[in-house]
Amino acid sequence: MATALPVRAQVPAAGQATKQHASWSPYDDNGGTVVAVAGDDYCIVAASTRMSTGYSILTRNKSKILRLNPKCVVASAGMQADMETLHKMLHSRHVTYQFNHRRPMSCPATAQLLSNTLYYKRFFPYYTFNLCAGLDDEGRGAVYTYDAIGSYERVGYGCQGSGKELIQPVLDNQLKAASPLVLPQQQWLSSLPLEQAVDLVKGAFVSAGERDIYTGDDVEILIITKDGIRTDSLQLKRD
Amino acid sequence: MLHRPTSHSAAIGPGPVPSLANPGPALEQQPRHAPQAPSCGSEAFCVDPQALSSSHPRQHTQYPYVTGTSVLGITFKDGVLLACDTLGAYGSTKRYKSFDRLRKVNDVCMVGASGELSDFQYIMRLLEELSDDDFCMDDGHHLKPAEVHSYLTRVLYNRRNKMDPLWNSLVVGGFHSGKPFLGTVGMIGTSYTDAHLATGFGNHLARPLMREKHHPDMSEEEAVALMHECLKVCYYRDKNSINKFQLAKVTKDGVSISEPFALETNWGFKLFQNPAANAVGTW
Amino acid sequence: MFLTRSEYDRGVNTFSPEGRLFQVEYAIEAIKLGSTAIAVRTDEGVVMAVEKRVTSPLLEPSSIEKVAEIDDHIGVAMSGLTADARTLIDHGRVETQQHRFTYNEPMPLESLTQSLCDLALRFGEDEEGEVGMSRPFGVALLVAGWDAEGGPVLFHTDPSGTYVQYEAKAIGSGSEGAQTALQESYRKDMTLKEAEVLALSTLKQVMEEKVTATNVDIARVAPKWHLYSPTEVEEVIARL
Repeated sequence: MATALPVRAQVPAAGQATKQHASWSPYDDNGGTVVAVAGDDYCIVAASTRMSTGYSILTRNKSKILRLNPKCVVASAGMQADMETLHKMLHSRHVTYQFNHRRPMSCPATAQLLSNTLYYKRFFPYYTFNLCAGLDDEGRGAVYTYDAIGSYERVGYGCQGSGKELIQPVLDNQLKAASPLVLPQQQWLSSLPLEQAVDLVKGAFVSAGERDIYTGDDVEILIITKDGIRTDSLQLKRD
Repeated sequence: MLHRPTSHSAAIGPGPVPSLANPGPALEQQPRHAPQAPSCGSEAFCVDPQALSSSHPRQHTQYPYVTGTSVLGITFKDGVLLACDTLGAYGSTKRYKSFDRLRKVNDVCMVGASGELSDFQYIMRLLEELSDDDFCMDDGHHLKPAEVHSYLTRVLYNRRNKMDPLWNSLVVGGFHSGKPFLGTVGMIGTSYTDAHLATGFGNHLARPLMREKHHPDMSEEEAVALMHECLKVCYYRDKNSINKFQLAKVTKDGVSISEPFALETNWGFKLFQNPAANAVGTW
Repeated sequence: MFLTRSEYDRGVNTFSPEGRLFQVEYAIEAIKLGSTAIAVRTDEGVVMAVEKRVTSPLLEPSSIEKVAEIDDHIGVAMSGLTADARTLIDHGRVETQQHRFTYNEPMPLESLTQSLCDLALRFGEDEEGEVGMSRPFGVALLVAGWDAEGGPVLFHTDPSGTYVQYEAKAIGSGSEGAQTALQESYRKDMTLKEAEVLALSTLKQVMEEKVTATNVDIARVAPKWHLYSPTEVEEVIARL
């Protein structure tokens, strides 16, 4: 009796016991770091512009920040394709919101919408790590931090993405005011003047760029105040 | 207009219809909007229920069969160059040696593909249907390069959402309103634009050269020279490539794709003649 | 009533040659048979006063509902076929809650009103897969609310799906007289207490019975919805 032909996957190949087929995953991590710091009357949002896969740099100039309106932006790290889709979705929801309610979506409203949008894909999540930042209805800085499936919390400052482990402790050290558990509640927003806070963010990115291979090239910085959004940038090492 | 089912039917959301999920007319007539459905965004993630309820399990592409290797792209002063070889490899077999992997979409845009070549042919059918529609409308409108790039991104992303990916990395080159356009899309929808691009091995082999030598206002001659150099490096190092290349150019004068050509290579180095001479033990 | 009365008053989808939709006009007529409802807007909030027709001494007056809460910042007063209003109110309650769920903020009043009017206009439509509405709603609403940005607002909607913003508005059988009275006495700088008196005294003028705590309902949105208890109503009556 003729022996059955070996199945492709079992053909031994040089250097390996069995031949491995190319396989695929619907997810990829394209790296990148996003940071936001809220102040009494400002909010700083910064994102690195490097986009990587594995040990390769794909491009050095890819924005991770979606500007919805002069008082609200969303910054996302993680998988670029999911980020792009999420941003397109939020953009279109923002446009319809403006048609229906004749006003731009506020930052707290966007925060809730983003949470729901992420949770609706609970069982096939967007692989994105987001910050929603801007000014709240009282004009104070607002930062909302998320996990990939929509849990969120309003905080005074936040960091997401590949450089999170490096930057978050620095922000904790420099910005942490009284614990939110202390009663009566104390000020938990950054008390730093704007320029100092910008310097802190820049310093944090420079440090992260030293050690995190996925953070580098450039940093796009948005400074949100009642007068609108001002942009700044920072060059990091390109290594 | 007469009903003509297109490959990118709207009935199961944006993006193309996987062959097994091709909706019949019954599906198209079903109401699509429940009152509580999100006003946008849901359809892209909807799976055709009829396709799921069929008696035998869905078969998806598990791995590619006939593949093309790297596609390279660079911008220059007056346009964009794309280049790749003409090989369709079946595993490590050189199966098809004159496969056109660079294709024209319209007068301002072209695409190049690496990865599964049958998927690329399917993608070209989608683009041709869109171009045919533009032609039939006869209003002078056509898809701009950025639109083609965005469309392909949605197609590939939606297919990865259906867990049935199109196994390609595509490069879109175009020239519109005085500006060159160069973008790429991966099989899971990862997309970006840059002044120079390379898929697959090219990202490791050719892009360092491009990063060193490319500048946006380089002349066509300089760009062609750079491209030849990159192709040569890829050919030397990429086992799955052949010395038969095509170079495509898009400028304000339109798209032109060259006849296949070979590059002069030099295998006369001593190390090639006796590779073990200076490396006792291993290669 | 209509001299041009003809075959054109049957279908809700059919315009008459003069360009009228008779069924919609008849629906608007139905409101003129309804009990009177009045709403007055001030900078402190919106007050609604409605007449309840207690047709029998055996009737339990509190079971007549002519004002309803949509969300805690929106209330409506109704006149006409109040059963139809239930559909609109339920729809409004779902919409406002949906808005809170999605955006974590109260729904803007105009958006809610627009959404109610969208529903009101859906008569004659065959919805895909389900039976559509066969006739227009025979009810008018006074939609009173408090916007996070604009403060107190008052809208009037009718069966044609039209909505208009008002400072003070009366609907129902006594609306003509009441509207004239409101026009004479309304001032932009009224306090909420003065508005309570204006609304109730205007209602009193057009009501056949004597105003008591049982045959009127008063509600306000200032800035939250509040339905007055009988004692609170009596307190307002005492100030007339």
